[in-house]
Amino acid sequence: MAMAALRREGRRFAPLVSSPNPINAIRSTLAPAEEQMGLGVRSISTQVVRNRMKSVRNIQKITKAMKMVAASKLRAIQVRAENSRGLWQPFTALLGDTPSVNVKKNVIVTISSDKGLCGGINSTSVKISRALHKINSGPDTECKYVILGEKGKAQLIRDSKKDIELIMTELQKNFLNYTQVSVLADDILKNVEFDALRIVFNKFQSVVSFLPTTATVLSPEIVERESEAGGKIGDLDSYEIEGGETKSEVLQNLAEFQFSCVMFNAVLENACSEQGARMSAMDSSSRNAGDMLDRLTLTYNRTRQASITTELIEIISGASALEG
Amino acid sequence: MTLNLCVLTPNRIVWDSEVKEIILSTNSGQIGVLPNHAPIATAVDIGILRIRLNDQWLTMALMGSFARIGNNEITVLVNDAEKSSDIDPQEAQQTLEIAEAALRKAEGKRQTIEANLALRRARTRVEAINAIS
Repeated sequence: MAMAALRREGRRFAPLVSSPNPINAIRSTLAPAEEQMGLGVRSISTQVVRNRMKSVRNIQKITKAMKMVAASKLRAIQVRAENSRGLWQPFTALLGDTPSVNVKKNVIVTISSDKGLCGGINSTSVKISRALHKINSGPDTECKYVILGEKGKAQLIRDSKKDIELIMTELQKNFLNYTQVSVLADDILKNVEFDALRIVFNKFQSVVSFLPTTATVLSPEIVERESEAGGKIGDLDSYEIEGGETKSEVLQNLAEFQFSCVMFNAVLENACSEQGARMSAMDSSSRNAGDMLDRLTLTYNRTRQASITTELIEIISGASALEG
Repeated sequence: MTLNLCVLTPNRIVWDSEVKEIILSTNSGQIGVLPNHAPIATAVDIGILRIRLNDQWLTMALMGSFARIGNNEITVLVNDAEKSSDIDPQEAQQTLEIAEAALRKAEGKRQTIEANLALRRARTRVEAINAIS
């Protein structure tokens, strides 16, 4: 019975020896290791496969942990993002959001994350910013960038270096709050001349869906021009403006306040999208690591059984040679 | 005919329900808003917002920004707002004294302006508590 089993094993092993393709497949992945052991060694050491399994397992643990961290951060920041949504809606109702407005000086504010491993959200933001830049630069219009976040800076600085006005990074180091963002908005308003500000960010729809969005904030002069011309912002004229000396002063305050509110919401939404994207990226990463681990386990078992079979065959053939 | 009032700050919605009348303090004085008011958009000063619900007045301290009054819909967007019931009288009084001391010590235009704003904010909070009693 045992001999029959061994013969069967031998027969199973024989095709492996005769058709070199399967072994070559394994060999190609572990070729460098085999060369270390010297040519002519047909079986691959289990040690090599085991090392590989260990490293893949560690990576899986790390990505699982990153996913959980991202999930808990997402919970915290999602509540704040939803609360801040109500703030800019009255502005849009009053002043309108008109991305198709025709202005001379455009400024694109790109909001991106500081850390990586968060899926494709930064690339989509940068793609949209570049597209907006192309649409809006013409013979007599100019278009500048203001970049928030390391990843956006890394991508845009390569080809649009001369168009960048301001770069700010490490926004999330301190807890994000309105005061910080309003100081940021103040900085931008002081240093950059603009007729229209287009803020590009990823809006958080759900844990798996992030919409790249652009919000347009117009400068007070353009608001006056558009409201007198009628159209979407025409409703503004029906409101009597009070408070402050002149209408333009109130409109200026209004525009500045609108900008800081919209920025605050945009930064929060982008942070939410970043955590959500990181969660799903790390999740698929863990799953891939699990798949890889399964395949490696199969390879490991096969090499282990192959080496046992080789040993057995050697012993048995040695023994039978002795018997005569 | 009731007004719908919404008071929003960047961090949360402070008030969102129907009221009978409100008194708002703007840069150019206090205005009272009753149902069917004409549409206006106005800047709100650092001051008290009084809300009337069924003959009962409620006070809130607002730290400035904007208000829009439309068809019986009032939206007030402020940097910060506190209901008078949430303000601790002792703490508000102390903040007021600290702000006054800071104003006296302030040097330079910028510090004076900031100290002034802090003083007005502290004073508003104290007034908000005193107004109900």
